[in-house]
Amino acid sequence: MRAFLERLRTSWRRRIAAWALRRQGTDTLPVTVRRGRIYILPTRAGLGFGLLLFFMLVAGLNYGNSLVLLLMFELSAVGLIAMHLCHRNLQDVVVAEAAAGAAFAGDAGLVSLVVANDSQLARYRLEVDALDAPASLADIERGARARVAVAVSTSRRGILRIDRLRIATTHPFGLFRAWTWVHVPLELTVYPRARGARPMPAQGGPHAGAGERGTSDEDEWFGLRPYRDGDSPRQVAWKAYARGAPLLVKEYVASGSQLRVFDFDELRDLDTEARLEQLARWILEAEARGEPYALALPAIRIDAAHGPEHRDSCLSLLARFGLPRAR
Amino acid sequence: MSTRLRQSAWCTGVFLAGVLLHLGTLSSWMSIIALGCSGWALAAAAGRARLPGRAVKQILVITLTIAVLLFFHTLNGLAAGTALLVVMGSVKLLEANRRRDRLIVIGAALFLLASACLESQSLPRVPLYALHAWACCAALAVVANPGSSLTDRAAVRLAGASLAMALPLAAMLFVFFPRLAGGFWAFPKGGQAMTGLSEQMSPGSISDLTDSNDPVLRVTFEGAAPPPEERYWRGPVLHDFDGYTWTVGSHWGVRNETVEPQGRTFTYRTTLEPSSRTWWLALDSIDAAPARARVTFDRQLVGLEPVTQPLTYRAHSHTRTRSSSVLPLPTRNADLNLPRGRNLKARALGQRLRAAARSPDDFIARVLEMFRTGGYEYSLTPPRTDLDSVDDFLFNTRSGFCGHYASAFVTLMRAGGVPARVVSGYLGGEWNPYGGYFIVRQSDAHAWAEVWVEGSGWRRIDPTGVVAPERLQRGILDLLPNAVSASERLLHRLRWLAALQQSWDATKAFWDTQVVGFDFSSQMAVLQRLGVPSPSWPQLAWALAAALAVWLAWAAWQFGRLPRAARPDRIARAYQRLCGKLGRAGLARLPHQGPLGYAGYIAARRPDLAQPVGALLARYAELRFGAQSDVASLEAFERAVARFRLRARGSRES
Repeated sequence: MRAFLERLRTSWRRRIAAWALRRQGTDTLPVTVRRGRIYILPTRAGLGFGLLLFFMLVAGLNYGNSLVLLLMFELSAVGLIAMHLCHRNLQDVVVAEAAAGAAFAGDAGLVSLVVANDSQLARYRLEVDALDAPASLADIERGARARVAVAVSTSRRGILRIDRLRIATTHPFGLFRAWTWVHVPLELTVYPRARGARPMPAQGGPHAGAGERGTSDEDEWFGLRPYRDGDSPRQVAWKAYARGAPLLVKEYVASGSQLRVFDFDELRDLDTEARLEQLARWILEAEARGEPYALALPAIRIDAAHGPEHRDSCLSLLARFGLPRAR
Repeated sequence: MSTRLRQSAWCTGVFLAGVLLHLGTLSSWMSIIALGCSGWALAAAAGRARLPGRAVKQILVITLTIAVLLFFHTLNGLAAGTALLVVMGSVKLLEANRRRDRLIVIGAALFLLASACLESQSLPRVPLYALHAWACCAALAVVANPGSSLTDRAAVRLAGASLAMALPLAAMLFVFFPRLAGGFWAFPKGGQAMTGLSEQMSPGSISDLTDSNDPVLRVTFEGAAPPPEERYWRGPVLHDFDGYTWTVGSHWGVRNETVEPQGRTFTYRTTLEPSSRTWWLALDSIDAAPARARVTFDRQLVGLEPVTQPLTYRAHSHTRTRSSSVLPLPTRNADLNLPRGRNLKARALGQRLRAAARSPDDFIARVLEMFRTGGYEYSLTPPRTDLDSVDDFLFNTRSGFCGHYASAFVTLMRAGGVPARVVSGYLGGEWNPYGGYFIVRQSDAHAWAEVWVEGSGWRRIDPTGVVAPERLQRGILDLLPNAVSASERLLHRLRWLAALQQSWDATKAFWDTQVVGFDFSSQMAVLQRLGVPSPSWPQLAWALAAALAVWLAWAAWQFGRLPRAARPDRIARAYQRLCGKLGRAGLARLPHQGPLGYAGYIAARRPDLAQPVGALLARYAELRFGAQSDVASLEAFERAVARFRLRARGSRES
């Protein structure tokens, strides 16, 4: 029974989401929250408040008591005013920016928004959420803007698509909840979980190099390997090709044995996900030591380097590994 | 202060304020429980105590419910319901940890407010009620906005603004929401007896006279008011006499007299103060009973229920009537009856006077003449009489107030074979120029006599008026200033204080008639004033719908227009000024260029401007797209744009 109700709820929500998307269309930033896209319903507290008003009405009519009726009418009017204030708290808020970052699977991924309030009204307690994650709160002074980060839970490596964000508010009295959906497709890169027990491969794996003498003076000749897509023409051993050999690429080793190559193909006895997780772990370890490393995946190779940018591009490759190209 | 403590303090505060509204009626043990639980809850919120467990709370709930049940013998009714609300709310305070619990506590506080309204609707309490409603709304705002920058002061302001904005709609609903008449369920009304007239009168025991200044009724006449000496407000009619005390008696007559009204009709609207009595005081004599009341055989207006709330009714009266019907025998006998063996001298006097008189009219005239010339004086502090009070008064003390004269007169009439009865009520009334009404007070209490004269029916005779004619013209205060307490004498002497008191009374009267007394008939009157010829339910429903539509349109306009942000904001305007300056120098921004792209474009075209313009554009980008943008840096940017000058390349090179 519970499962059935849950299914019903999910399908109902999906239908509403589809309806809202059809109604509003996909958004491009910046998005101003106009009246037409604000939805509002009473909260549970609001329904309870309504019940309280009903009891007061019955008591007032029953005892012919004008003051109780006046109180009840005043509170009803306050309820209606609260509905308008709640709606207004969201109206014309601007979503100026929205971006999704990256996270390791199992960690929280951050979606960050810049919400602007160009009006003369302070906005209180805007709740921003995505994918049913717990909402992040923001108060925005008049004429100000605020950066709001929503933590989204991730479970699987890959690309987490966030089709819509929700901005809601129950200000001022919690009797109504007004909300809006912003359909800005975002992609959150979910890196593989960094884990695995294998030791880092020994230093001194080969890397492809340009020119006859390598990329730098320290590099030493290592050998030739078959050409792969993505290799630079400058690395190809044109002399050997001229002699009738297949396309080969010259490889060098960094002198002083500073170089590590994390090769997907080397981890033959693990399944794909475990290999990616192991590679992610090595990348973090090497980064922690400040050593350069190269990454070799079946279809692509990244030259040795280190630093946050290098790390992120390597991890992104791992995240996207084997996925159909998005869009 | 932590969020939890702050929220807890608000909830506890409004709940205690709700309990405070019932301070007069609540027994002390309930107040103590409310206080104790509040203290406990606050200490727990401050981290100094632990909240009780589930079992303790369940035991508390059961024990307290039983205590209330034992105390009131019921859970039905206002007092028991309020007590239950107080103790249950107190226990709820002990688990007000989640938002839901806090909301329930605030709901309980609002219910306490409603039950306070049921208890008393008097005007002086209304500011308290308003303050409490305000506090409850503010508490709601605080509880609904945890983790927000909404301060207490902002919450109070928000609640106040909401209540103020809600007032017009509340007033409209109040006027147009159909008032269903009658109760859905009966409930025992707790009312204490109040001072005033009673169903018996013992003129011999002097403390009988009320010297209170409390209002009894207020009356507005539509058209002319009767002169003061005809403003008799009829109360209980006393038939039985035991020689000392007059009572209503057990006689129930049939109302079959055909009353022929004399003189002009007086139409008026009366608002009675609560008295816990069923009688409605009316100008003597009333023509027909208004709704929810009836006229007894002896012309008293009696309501179907005790008057526990201010009550307004409209009626017509004639101050003089005739009747040519015959007095039914049982009534005649009841109104001729005198106690055996009592007041023998008075009876003999009555018989003697009747025998000497040519007609009943002559008899009446002789008795009144005796009062006028017999050395009788009017006094509010006459000596006590013995048990044969009429004899003692007539032949010994010769000093008394209205009750003595009415009592003696009726005794003499009955002794002479003329049916007579004592009527109690009020005489006169003070004109209130601020409210345009007469106010009748307890100190206007009066008693007079009625005699049956064959052919002309019951005739009002006021023997007091013979002895003290001024009593009919003026109130007791003017007549016998020493009869009332010092503070009331002072009030009477100081004109401005009296005026102040009158205007306050007028305000209270307005409140009682126009707000508390507002009912279905008042709604119909409003509709009539709005031009509906014969108003009824459907018209009321239409009026309500129209009022709601007007309000909704107003609200949509009011709340929809405020946050309009369509005008470019200050940052954008400053940016536009900068782009305009560059555009006039032939460096117009292309539509697709963002600020940084534009900077690159300018750097390529005019390397000399790369540094200053690039810096400005970077500042703009920071203001526009950065996470933080404060007013100071915005203003600095505006000044920098204003200072920025550039000359066309040609003029610079020339």
